[in-house]
Amino acid sequence: MNLVRAELERLAARRFVQLMVVLLAAAFAVTVVTTLAGSHRPGPAELSRAQAQAAESVRQMEMTYDRCLRIREGTLPPGENDYLPRDCAQIDPAQIEELPSAADYLSGVFVFAKEAEPLLYFLIAFLTLFGFLVGASYIGADLNSGGVVNLLLWRPRRPLVLAAKLGTLLGGLLGLSVLASAAYLGAFWLIGQASGLVGRTGGDFWPSLAAIWVRGLMLVLLAAALGFAVATLGRHTSAALGTVAAYVVVWELGARLVFQILEVGRPDRYMLSSYLAAWLSGEVRLWDNNACGPGISGYCDGSYTLTWTSGLVVLLGLTGALVAAAFTVFRRRDLI
Amino acid sequence: MSAVIEIAGLRKTFHTLRQGRRIAVDGFDMLVEAGQVHGFLGPNGSGKTTTLRALLGLVRPDAGRMRVLGAESPEHLPDVAGRVGAIVESPQFFANFTAHRTLRLLALAGGVPTARVDEVLEQVGLRDRGDERVKGYSLGMKQRLAVASALLKSPELLILDEPANGLDPAGIREMRDLTRSLAEAGVTVLLSSHILAEIQLICDHVTIVSRGRRVAYGPVEEVLAGFDQHQWRVRVADPEQAGQLLGRAGLSVTVAPDHLVVTGVQDPETISRTLGEQGMWVRELVPLRPDLESVFLELTGDHEHVAVPRQVDGAPPNDGVIDLDVRESREVDA
Repeated sequence: MNLVRAELERLAARRFVQLMVVLLAAAFAVTVVTTLAGSHRPGPAELSRAQAQAAESVRQMEMTYDRCLRIREGTLPPGENDYLPRDCAQIDPAQIEELPSAADYLSGVFVFAKEAEPLLYFLIAFLTLFGFLVGASYIGADLNSGGVVNLLLWRPRRPLVLAAKLGTLLGGLLGLSVLASAAYLGAFWLIGQASGLVGRTGGDFWPSLAAIWVRGLMLVLLAAALGFAVATLGRHTSAALGTVAAYVVVWELGARLVFQILEVGRPDRYMLSSYLAAWLSGEVRLWDNNACGPGISGYCDGSYTLTWTSGLVVLLGLTGALVAAAFTVFRRRDLI
Repeated sequence: MSAVIEIAGLRKTFHTLRQGRRIAVDGFDMLVEAGQVHGFLGPNGSGKTTTLRALLGLVRPDAGRMRVLGAESPEHLPDVAGRVGAIVESPQFFANFTAHRTLRLLALAGGVPTARVDEVLEQVGLRDRGDERVKGYSLGMKQRLAVASALLKSPELLILDEPANGLDPAGIREMRDLTRSLAEAGVTVLLSSHILAEIQLICDHVTIVSRGRRVAYGPVEEVLAGFDQHQWRVRVADPEQAGQLLGRAGLSVTVAPDHLVVTGVQDPETISRTLGEQGMWVRELVPLRPDLESVFLELTGDHEHVAVPRQVDGAPPNDGVIDLDVRESREVDA
């Protein structure tokens, strides 16, 4: 416990960590200020006009759907500009996830329900980067500066020391992420209340947002563990940064190009970024350029889906393997 | 006396892509007993630091047995780690941490009362600057901080690898006094240093390592005595003639331009009487006793460097710790 306390204090006292927290606070402040400056609370007339526009839009959708049904039944001849999907259910307003609302027709008004998801994704992206860099530099700087050796002279159990460091990192990061998320979303909710609109937060709004948040937190922790593991293996912070840069350039860009030239089927399934997107957004629909080649006639759906489950398995498996490798190597390594 | 450090048959080979296979320690043995201030000498790359790192569980040996305070190392090192203070080479610290915070974190991690921090800062003379960031410290101050970190645990065994690195003469003297006071308080000290005169001044026992093997060990006086060639420096009006006289008397003589060195003579009276009987009067007759540096260089195969006469700190110029320039001498056949 003492070791964890000491590590937590060491982590919090790191200048790099402090700098990243300041950057997070600065980004937060800038976003809040610009949102506040660009938003106003709509008046009754503005609101009723937007509501009327939304109602009109919904009415148009219902008419289009109704027309589609009648054309399919043959009771109405199709017009030149009619949009006719294979199945009219595709444009059934009752089945559409989100119908137009007044918020869509309000200009210069911050609507929390509409903006919460992209704001949360921005926060997750920042925290993921933060987690990776802090994870890598926390152990990388310690290994490079001899801090780990100093510590091992006090606590010669290597796995325990490394586990304490990783546990402290993940615990601290989780705490910071929870606080930052609460402050971030709370602040924008208040802006919606005071200087905009909260919007429709009923139904599955909060559960859906919570699911993204939980997946985001998991991603932040995985990124931190990944950075920590690679920096441990490479004995340096730059090892982690270099590995990521090399991976992006060599595999995500280079190999993707080679796959395209060789016409390899479904190349996206070999890319970590696909599983990252699948995990974060619940699922990702990808297109296989080679699926519908010249030999195929008629309708061809070349798309395929990666679910959050496969995303989790790949990300967890990769991180787990690297962390296990880092512990194994660190346990046996000569610290010279 | 109980053994505090026991090393037997320690071997360690490093394999690197650039340098290939390099034997760092090759069957090294060492014994340090309780209460000793034990000097650990060896040239660069002789395996000193590798030995200390292996002893402290930082390097995995290929073979050999090590015990620290009775516990097998590295298996049972955690059982005694709280009683062993150590610095290995020049430890680095986070530059933007203060000395106080650096030590506080170590104390916290090691379960030592944080009240010890001020005590050890006082001990190493950093109390007034404990709240300054380490990046503003000189090399010597960082070294003191390292020693302070080793002292935090109130250790029974203190392992110091080059503690005088970067210290100015006053700092070296303070470190020497500190080491002595710790030894007087019953702390066993293992001191690795390149400053041989320092080792000779502080240590009562010594182990000398060369190319990964122990080449000499024991009480400092005994090690030095083992290399005493019973040499005498003689100054006379005519060294050339005196050399011939002494050579004819069966003595081994080396003649230099302004003096001569007689080797293998237990009683200096033999020299003065031999010369006096021929009417040649001795102006100076000084015993040339080996110092640790000459023994060290002899053992580690570096005696070509024994060229510049030098005075060891604290010793008078003519007390037998002067090495002669052997390159300018020539042997006189007996």
